Amino acid sequence: MRVPLPQLFTAFLYVGLTAFGGGGTAHIYELMVVRRGWLSEREFLETTALCRVLPGPVFANLAAHLGARLGGALGGVAALAGVLLPGVSLMLLLSLAYFRFGALPGSSVEGALSGVAAAAIGLILATVLRQARIGLDSLKAVLLALVVFVTYGLLHWSLLLVLLLTVPVGVALYWREAEAG
Amino acid sequence: MSEGLEVFLTFLRLGLISFGGGMANLPEMARTLIAQGWVTPQQFADGFALGQFVPGPNMLAVVFYGLSAAGPLGALAALLGMFLPGAAGAVVLVHGWRWMARARWSRALRKALVPVSMGLSLSMLLVLIELGMDKPWSFAVMALATLLIYRGANILAVMLGGGVLGLSVSLLWG
Repeated sequence: MRVPLPQLFTAFLYVGLTAFGGGGTAHIYELMVVRRGWLSEREFLETTALCRVLPGPVFANLAAHLGARLGGALGGVAALAGVLLPGVSLMLLLSLAYFRFGALPGSSVEGALSGVAAAAIGLILATVLRQARIGLDSLKAVLLALVVFVTYGLLHWSLLLVLLLTVPVGVALYWREAEAG
Repeated sequence: MSEGLEVFLTFLRLGLISFGGGMANLPEMARTLIAQGWVTPQQFADGFALGQFVPGPNMLAVVFYGLSAAGPLGALAALLGMFLPGAAGAVVLVHGWRWMARARWSRALRKALVPVSMGLSLSMLLVLIELGMDKPWSFAVMALATLLIYRGANILAVMLGGGVLGLSVSLLWG
């Protein structure tokens, strides 16, 4: 299937404009599978799983990949630009305002930002709790997560070192389960 | 220019190793940026908080960090460095995704990345708590937000609520 570039760009621009608070893949699913029918459900799920293996946010990777599949390399650029443009523009405005007017320690703006920061940490905690129910389903999963947390979070090892040590071990641990089915 | 290049290379390195979800590199990013003197710990937490208000992929806070490091050019450099590695890989993946969806190593890798990214998320949580929980009432707001979002409340509304609560507390007892 081939989709013209302007159509790809505006479709992903809409996703970039409306996807607040994470969960971007659900928005892309809604667009690609439900509304436009550019992709089958199975294709979408397989592709999303693959994009998790790449570095960086799954949301952006998925946009670039699907854009490229529907419109070539330029389609990938158009989709990524569409999905990033609204958020980046708004973030730039907010950041400029922050550095221009500042948030003086003890000011009420500073208080508001601390409140948002605390709520944002709550968001991540809630996400972690949700994922833990599904993700930490075996002893090896718990141990693997624990080793990563201790080395990276507590001992401050470099991320690259932690990944080089734990990912191959993880692949070995899951090798048996990964038999093609 | 050389400053922009330095920002780009720093974020490119962070972007290249951010496996297991886009924010896995947050602890390393905090350590690197604060050590470089590009942001203070307070600014790092504030930038992260502002990032919750914009639509699109998470981690748009890199725009804030890049801007703080080297102006508008730095913002662009940080954005490109952060998003290019994954996006380039995703475009290349157009060829061979069918093969890769079935390859055994990639299935094993996907399964292994689930607990690994749980460990990364916990580390991220720890850093954010160290940097961002700077008020006596922060934990109460965090607990309330966790409960609401866990039970399916609208995320943007909860973020705004946190801001309003923080604002009122500092106006009343500031």
